[in-house]
Amino acid sequence: MLSLESITKTTQDWLLAKFSPQIALTIECVIVILLAITLFAVLGLVLVLLERKVAARIQIRLGPNRVGPGGIFQTAADTLKLIMKEGLTPDTADKFLFNLAPFVVMMVAMLLLAPIAFAKNFQIWDINIGVLYISSISSLSVIGILMAGWASNNKYSLLGAMRSGAQIVSYELSAGFAVLTIVVLTGSLQISEIVASQENGWWLFKGHIPVVIAFVLYIIAVTAETNRAPFDLAEAESELTAGFHTEYSGMKFALFFLAEYINIFIVCTIGATLFLGGWMPLHIGHWEGFNHIMDFIPSSVWFMGKTFFLIFLIMWFRWTFPRLRVDQLLNLEWKYLLPISLFNLLLVTVIAIMGWHF
Amino acid sequence: MFLKDYISDVYNGVTSLLKGMRKTGYYFTHSKEIITEQYPDNRATLKLADRFKGEVVMPHDEQNEHTCTGCTACELACPNGTIKIITKFEMTPEGKKKKAIDSFIYRLEMCTLCNLCVAACPSDAIKMAPNFEHSVFDRSKLTKILNKPGSKIKEGVE
Amino acid sequence: MNISSIIFYAISALILGAGILAVTSVKIFRAAIWLLFSLVGIAALYFWMQVEFIAAIQIVVYVGGIVVLIIFSIFLTQNSGKEMAKPAKGKVIFSALAALFGTAFVHNLIVHYEGFATNSAKPFNPNVAEIGTQMLSTTSHGFILPFEVVSMLLLAAMVGCIVIAMRPNNEIKN
Ligand code: SF4
Ligand code: SF4
Repeated sequence: MLSLESITKTTQDWLLAKFSPQIALTIECVIVILLAITLFAVLGLVLVLLERKVAARIQIRLGPNRVGPGGIFQTAADTLKLIMKEGLTPDTADKFLFNLAPFVVMMVAMLLLAPIAFAKNFQIWDINIGVLYISSISSLSVIGILMAGWASNNKYSLLGAMRSGAQIVSYELSAGFAVLTIVVLTGSLQISEIVASQENGWWLFKGHIPVVIAFVLYIIAVTAETNRAPFDLAEAESELTAGFHTEYSGMKFALFFLAEYINIFIVCTIGATLFLGGWMPLHIGHWEGFNHIMDFIPSSVWFMGKTFFLIFLIMWFRWTFPRLRVDQLLNLEWKYLLPISLFNLLLVTVIAIMGWHF
Repeated sequence: MFLKDYISDVYNGVTSLLKGMRKTGYYFTHSKEIITEQYPDNRATLKLADRFKGEVVMPHDEQNEHTCTGCTACELACPNGTIKIITKFEMTPEGKKKKAIDSFIYRLEMCTLCNLCVAACPSDAIKMAPNFEHSVFDRSKLTKILNKPGSKIKEGVE
Repeated sequence: MNISSIIFYAISALILGAGILAVTSVKIFRAAIWLLFSLVGIAALYFWMQVEFIAAIQIVVYVGGIVVLIIFSIFLTQNSGKEMAKPAKGKVIFSALAALFGTAFVHNLIVHYEGFATNSAKPFNPNVAEIGTQMLSTTSHGFILPFEVVSMLLLAAMVGCIVIAMRPNNEIKN
């Protein structure tokens, strides 16, 4: 059967046969970079279209349906438009930082891609601190937003950046705790080991109620961390025009926009890896026959299916719930999510020590 | 007590959120609820609501008669000076002079479709029509005379 | 020179260059950003040494925590967008001398330290689990005491924060 694993293996063998190891490594790096960029572009196009279609259906509309069959080329046309637009820089802005900010945001999103396991044995860098790496790098993305807000020299941008900063810094805590519950159960930070530990069932099913609670907390926290509605105060159109990217136009705006969607994709892949078994097919305990049938579906399909399920969930939130006020936002985090996740972590630790999980 | 309040808070919050998600989830999965009109494509079958206000018209019956008495109440009611009524005097068969309209001039480009004229008319001579395709190449086409040529007032309307 | 050392020198150049820009910049926000790059460079250096755990912690604590706090306080300060005045000559000379003295001191320490050669024979194991065990172990090389002292310090800081943020009782009544 053709799988991503065998493709990478044949490529590597072929490169090693043709070139010296160092050159082969360089070529592999270039291939990986190109693949990552392609993935970003495709994801951007697909996710934006998906979002608009989901939004339309939820609001009893049709959504984009003019460019191409069913409107599938709408986002491509939008991108073309954004590319051709002029990238303005305000006169009194800090020009260097203003132009640097979108690239910082984008670079952070790219770095986050490294430890994600897309399919069986298909991973760029199986770093031994996997999830810690992800939570540390994702704390960098707030810098890009703060930079953009300050450098624009615009009060709306500044307010948006401050809101977003406060929000990301506080919700990182409960997201971190939710991740920790799985780390406690698995006993490892490495993504490949976390996936391997779910071979006889996903943690969401194996870990009883506490893991379900952790999953819910994780989804709420990452929705806030990616600045999406109902936590989109940072770019609340009605009060701050567009928040930290008010002054951006053309391709620089497109980079922010793209980074937002890439971040959603990445947090959903992490959620899928931690709670839904990553690329691991649906296995139930010792039902050998059932497990065997499930193995016939390629691992990459499993992974993408789970990820897109979570993405859909987050989109569903966005088009259902009204936006929170700043005080409600901080109340939710510090009075509800954080105490609950602390208590929950305690419970999970007890479960892990006593070995009560399946 | 505090803990009980806290837990019921969380419970109520979660259930109300789930209720909202059920509603939107219902709409997402039921495509027959979609209300979007594919306008230029479905022009032939397009149905507009009765109370849609697109322009002021004066209905005429089969005998080419309307009920406008030329009282100019609509002209006075219009905040924008959209309506101009030109009156004339007609001889009734009994030999009496009677006021009637010569032309009801209506300038669509100045109309805000506020419905005040329709409300002001004592004899229900004008109404709003659901017509919205108003674009023309020459703005003089937007100045319309609402009473049809040769029309006259219906018998019995004073 | 192989690729590894080229990368080392590139990262070091980034750290030092960003550091110099951080202290010479007259715009306070830019200084914070240069400091950020310098700290990210140090994290990169840790990655280069393959002590990923330390690198991740460096990013979480310094970049995600401290620099964000600095930037926040800049946001909340009045007139922080203005260019600062150039520092006086005497100050510049004094701080340059202080920096030089520090460099000389550290260099002296490194030159006289003999541990490097012997240590490299023993495999350096940056396993996270081992770091955790070492942190909480009570045996000869355990760090339980400093760990607990730091915990106490943080607890004290947290309680202090709550006390400062709390409204006095009579104010609530009004
Ligand atoms: S709808 Fe309003 S603006 Fe238009 S003619 Fe009547 S009164 Fe005037
Ligand atoms: S349309 Fe009505 S209000 Fe206007 S002049 Fe005729 S009768 Fe009078």
